[in-house]
Amino acid sequence: MKPPALSAKDVRAGYGDADVLRGISFELQGGEVLGVIGPNGCGKSTLLRALTGLLPLRGGNVTIGGRDVPSLGSRERARLCAVQPQSEAPVFDYDVRRFVLLGRHAHRSLLGWAGPSDMTAAENALACADLRELADRSVRELSAGEWQRALLARALAQETPVLMLDEPVAHLDPGHRHDVHVLLRDLARKQGKAILCVSHDLNLAAEFSDRLMIIEGGAVRALGTPEEVLSDKNLQEVFRCQSLKAGKNPYTGRAGVFFAS
Amino acid sequence: MKTFFRLTLLGGCAAAIVAAALCIGPTDLLDARKLGELIAGAHRTPELERAALVLWELRLPRVLLAAAAGVNLALAGLLLQSVFRNPLAEPYLLGLSSGGALGAVAALAAGATATVWPALAGSLAVAAVVLLLCRRRIAADLPSLLLAGVALGALAQAFTTAIILRFDPGAMRSVLFWLMGSFAGRGWPEVWMLVPAALVGCVLVMLLHRPLDILALGGESAHHLGVRVRALQIGAMVLAAILAALTVAACGTIGFVGLMAPHLARRLVGSGHAVAAPAAAMIGAGLTVISDLVARTLLAGTELPVGVVTGALGCVFFLALLLRKR
Repeated sequence: MKPPALSAKDVRAGYGDADVLRGISFELQGGEVLGVIGPNGCGKSTLLRALTGLLPLRGGNVTIGGRDVPSLGSRERARLCAVQPQSEAPVFDYDVRRFVLLGRHAHRSLLGWAGPSDMTAAENALACADLRELADRSVRELSAGEWQRALLARALAQETPVLMLDEPVAHLDPGHRHDVHVLLRDLARKQGKAILCVSHDLNLAAEFSDRLMIIEGGAVRALGTPEEVLSDKNLQEVFRCQSLKAGKNPYTGRAGVFFAS
Repeated sequence: MKTFFRLTLLGGCAAAIVAAALCIGPTDLLDARKLGELIAGAHRTPELERAALVLWELRLPRVLLAAAAGVNLALAGLLLQSVFRNPLAEPYLLGLSSGGALGAVAALAAGATATVWPALAGSLAVAAVVLLLCRRRIAADLPSLLLAGVALGALAQAFTTAIILRFDPGAMRSVLFWLMGSFAGRGWPEVWMLVPAALVGCVLVMLLHRPLDILALGGESAHHLGVRVRALQIGAMVLAAILAALTVAACGTIGFVGLMAPHLARRLVGSGHAVAAPAAAMIGAGLTVISDLVARTLLAGTELPVGVVTGALGCVFFLALLLRKR
């Protein structure tokens, strides 16, 4: 049987003396989009750091394609899993194309120049992120939304079977928000990528995710289809807002979240 | 193509500065006929013999040493700026040069004549403490690390001053002159130490150009892109410390070159280390050679420490940056 693209079993991790993640378990298959939602400070970004080996585990284990993450070499890990970070501030100047090409590092030898496959991957990633026209511009001249798309393009250029994104559309306009989520769904459907997407936009997460996982206090509160997970009780208790109501998108029929007052 | 043209232009400028520094001085070597005869080695008149002595035994080692020091400081600055993601990081500011100076001065006070190993020990000790503070999470973020380096540098300077005060007046003057940076009285042994270090430094930075590009994006992103962040940070710090220490041992502390050269290089050819490293090396060499030329020709009959000239240049550079930002 083929191992899951990404698997977390009883993952515990934290900073200092405090445990932020208290036993998180889930599996993600290739071709699936998993939306991770939860209130601020619940451990969503910490979960991504633990899953990618950036934060040492205090318990449990994480596998990518059946292989233990801590046992993977750094380049090998970067060929299996790409991450779009929540924030990254450019200090030095690179043009967008060169910045996206850095995503090919794990595919190139130490001395190797960018080959045709690297250039193709970078150009495809630029096109996917709608950045072709800005490819020669300095990354320091990009708007917040364009910069976020550049980060996405760099992660796409890694051409990995697993893609993790930490609030990938936080600074994007509605059009680009929609486009990015359609792109992610297409990448899962057509290329079989396993996509884990942390989001604060509950409606977009519900619309484009196959499953949703609600994190509360460093543990999984609910995991299932958006219709199963987005209940009034879950929403109001997790986000501590009695005005939140679960409903349906009148156009697509998918689960959605609304303010009742 | 534009970058290649700019690199070639930089190479041409650096070569012109080196050639000018070889010819200009109390013994004028600007006469083309004299130079031709010198190089051809024919018709050795007493005047030519003297000119040959000046060129091969004084001017050439001095200029080569200045150029190599500039390359070393520029590469050390470039490495530190990538590790700390801060365009203000440089070996002088971060205490690596001060650590080297403390090691060398302590060795001199103990009666030793060789300063290379003590300088290396001093610089590496500062780098090790900075990295240790990072590991112990006392200075976990990069600005804290930078501050830790600045604090250690100040401490090293304080100890160095305390040791120098114990020297007799004559020794104190010569040690102070050396500490302020000088290429006077140095010869081929220092050249054979610094030039290979500069070449090895260039090769290593060029080999690591892509990981360094990625490291400059930040540790977390570098991790996700497949770089062994900790190993690269340690390697880059150690290389920068070695380059700074050898330079201190050979010619004292020369400030601001490690700051100005990478900054100018990035402005001229971009931030990618594959082009920024050779550009910074050439600019660093040009800056130190021209500073040395100014130091030995500005005042008739006396020589300024080269650190004084680079300090003045650094001040003008900072003011120009501030004015541009306005």
